[in-house]
Amino acid sequence: MKWKNLLLNWRVLLLLIFVIGSFASIIAYGLTFGLDISGGTAITVRLEKPVDQNTMDKVVTSLTNRINRLGIADVKVEPWGDQYIIVKVANVSEDTVRGIKETIEKQGVFYAEFEGEIFATGEDIVQVFEYRIEPSTYRWHVPFQISQKAAERFAQLALNKPGYPVDMFLDPPVNSLLLVSQETYNVMKDEFNAQAPQAMSLPERIKKAFNIDTVVYANQSIDEIVDLAKDKDLVVLIGVNGNLKDELESRGVRVRVIERGKDETTYDLITKALGLYGPYSVGEGLTHGQAATNVEITGSSSNPYLAQQEASIISVVLASGSLPIKVYVEGTQYISAELGRDFKNQVLIAGIAALLVVGAVVYAHYRKLRIAIPVVSTSLSEVIIILGVAALIKWNLDLPSIAGIIAAIGTGVDQQIVITDELLGSQRKERITKRSGVLKRMGRAFFVILASATTTVVAMSFLFKFFVGGLRGFAFTTILGVLIGISITRPAYAEIAKMLLSEKKR
Amino acid sequence: MRPKFLKKLAEMEHKKMIMYPLIVFVVALLILAVKPPTLGIDLAGGVVVTAQGVSTNPDEVAKYVSDKLGIEVRVESFTSLAGGGINVYAPAGSSPEDIISVLKEKFPDAKYAQSEVQPTFGEMAQKQGIKAISYAFLGMAIVVFLFFRVLVPSFTVIFSAISDMIIAVALMSLVGIELSQATIAALLMLIGYSVDSNILLTTKLLKKKEDTIKEAYFSAVSTGFTMSTTTLGALASLWLISTAPVIDQIAVVLVFGLLADFMNTWVLNAGVLKWYLSRGEKQ
Repeated sequence: MKWKNLLLNWRVLLLLIFVIGSFASIIAYGLTFGLDISGGTAITVRLEKPVDQNTMDKVVTSLTNRINRLGIADVKVEPWGDQYIIVKVANVSEDTVRGIKETIEKQGVFYAEFEGEIFATGEDIVQVFEYRIEPSTYRWHVPFQISQKAAERFAQLALNKPGYPVDMFLDPPVNSLLLVSQETYNVMKDEFNAQAPQAMSLPERIKKAFNIDTVVYANQSIDEIVDLAKDKDLVVLIGVNGNLKDELESRGVRVRVIERGKDETTYDLITKALGLYGPYSVGEGLTHGQAATNVEITGSSSNPYLAQQEASIISVVLASGSLPIKVYVEGTQYISAELGRDFKNQVLIAGIAALLVVGAVVYAHYRKLRIAIPVVSTSLSEVIIILGVAALIKWNLDLPSIAGIIAAIGTGVDQQIVITDELLGSQRKERITKRSGVLKRMGRAFFVILASATTTVVAMSFLFKFFVGGLRGFAFTTILGVLIGISITRPAYAEIAKMLLSEKKR
Repeated sequence: MRPKFLKKLAEMEHKKMIMYPLIVFVVALLILAVKPPTLGIDLAGGVVVTAQGVSTNPDEVAKYVSDKLGIEVRVESFTSLAGGGINVYAPAGSSPEDIISVLKEKFPDAKYAQSEVQPTFGEMAQKQGIKAISYAFLGMAIVVFLFFRVLVPSFTVIFSAISDMIIAVALMSLVGIELSQATIAALLMLIGYSVDSNILLTTKLLKKKEDTIKEAYFSAVSTGFTMSTTTLGALASLWLISTAPVIDQIAVVLVFGLLADFMNTWVLNAGVLKWYLSRGEKQ
């Protein structure tokens, strides 16, 4: 028997060492599975423009803080290149996902304004207190403390102006043009003055504080609107026909459309468009010049659940401060835990079935178990080694990664067949002197293998380099599989096959 | 095991061997010109909600969701070994959470998954896909030239890879598989498979001096046939058992590509090589 010789062959030995090492690695470190298998939500966040490492770190920390404060454990915030961030959350309900998305998208720039003067910004927020909800009206309150300096500034502004409106803004559309209907305009003018009709109107206040122009839309031509928006960052359409959006965008104008929700009053629509909380009426006690640092933002919601959600988002955003750059939620992927489990089981079964099918087909072609069994077991050991490496470097095994493993196995089997056929061919040709014939044919087999491995690796490295998406996993495991194949498993298979096939001839 | 058609192939005239695959290639191009594949939501932007474990009339669900939420949705049903389900497609900007909540009222026991992509992100993914494919091709072409250093065979290998991809995409468009990130990956993978079999053939014919061309071809094509059947078998079991869309799409596209590759390698490339070698003999 040549078994002993085979075991002592360094190529076979190397394979065995790697298989054992991989088992150890899988047991020691365990496999980490991607969200699409373990279940959960992945949210893709885009930054307004590419940023440097420093800013990226800030955004990541800030987003992590925010989501943690929402009371969600097990959050992973991972940067993806210089412009994208992936937020991964384990199993949560759809409503929580909605809350997370809203929290992320709030840039969190806070302003408190009085008579067109900004007296406090996010930097003046000292502390945010526990929010509370009035159980009967679903009105919510988020109390917080502002700095002494801001409080003094306010005290001066508000001197002898009882009943005047105080506005608080979160992410107002700074330097923009509001295009509103006549009715909306009237509401803005008349209903936002708290108890002081003589105070500046809302359109005047936001013009002075944020350079926001408010214009009534009366079928002006596109040219006129483009002209009005000349130096503005944004045009906000409030309750105005949405066709304008496309036309303006085609002229290179940034447009935001604010649509009226179900049962939403014009008043609510305006506050939503401006990110306005308030206006609050200045109490008599605050108009005598003394500074008060405790203030609050309030709002009301249609049900207790929404009230709680909104209050918690506001308090998180106020507490975590503003993000250094505007971010947008670009996409979400959600997979329920059960569905993920199904996928995992299916892939496992499919993998085993695929190996069996390969074995069966190989057997059908050669009618030799001594070929079919080594082919299948070599492929199996290749899977184990790939998984071992994945466990070692804590690679996130998602569905594309697993597809990559299967693809690598596919090429692996192909190459084993090339080796087998070259060996069998050399047996058939008796006239070639045996030893040199085998070597020559092996050389040819490995030329084919090397050429195809190189092309696969080259093609896949571009996928790995240029895709920020989940397909990097596919590229990664394919490359890994091919490299393991040409360096470890294929040479070992060649040795095994050489021995098994020549043994038969004796 | 030597199927008869392999013998037939070995005896075919090289002109025909070149012509038939070229006709298929042109037909595939025409199909693509008339009906390019639709873009998946990860490239075009949009919302898709999957409810697994539901068997129902898709039109009814579409009407139900549209009525409840006031958005236009498209519903498709699918079946698999693990039980059927529906995919609800909605335009970008609609809320997948809302769709799941209304579906849950109707199908509380279904298992849900959703995916939402903004058009801007899809556009970026498209650009990346095009970039990845073109660079991969370039890289492949360079590697092939470096390995063979002969113009005609190298060019044929590269053309087969292109043709494999074009035919696979045309078949995708015919059976309604979307072009998505997953299918782009599968198309790239085809480059690897295609080069595999083509290099095998080319090496055998160009470097195998001890055999006649016909013998060398026959030995190569029987190896190639074994290779393709094992891979097809593995992919078929993957496709049959898995219900995960990513895996399914990759498997189907690879099956299409491998079928195309079988033709392009063993008929087209073999034809060209036969012609190339016989020309060399004459000179």
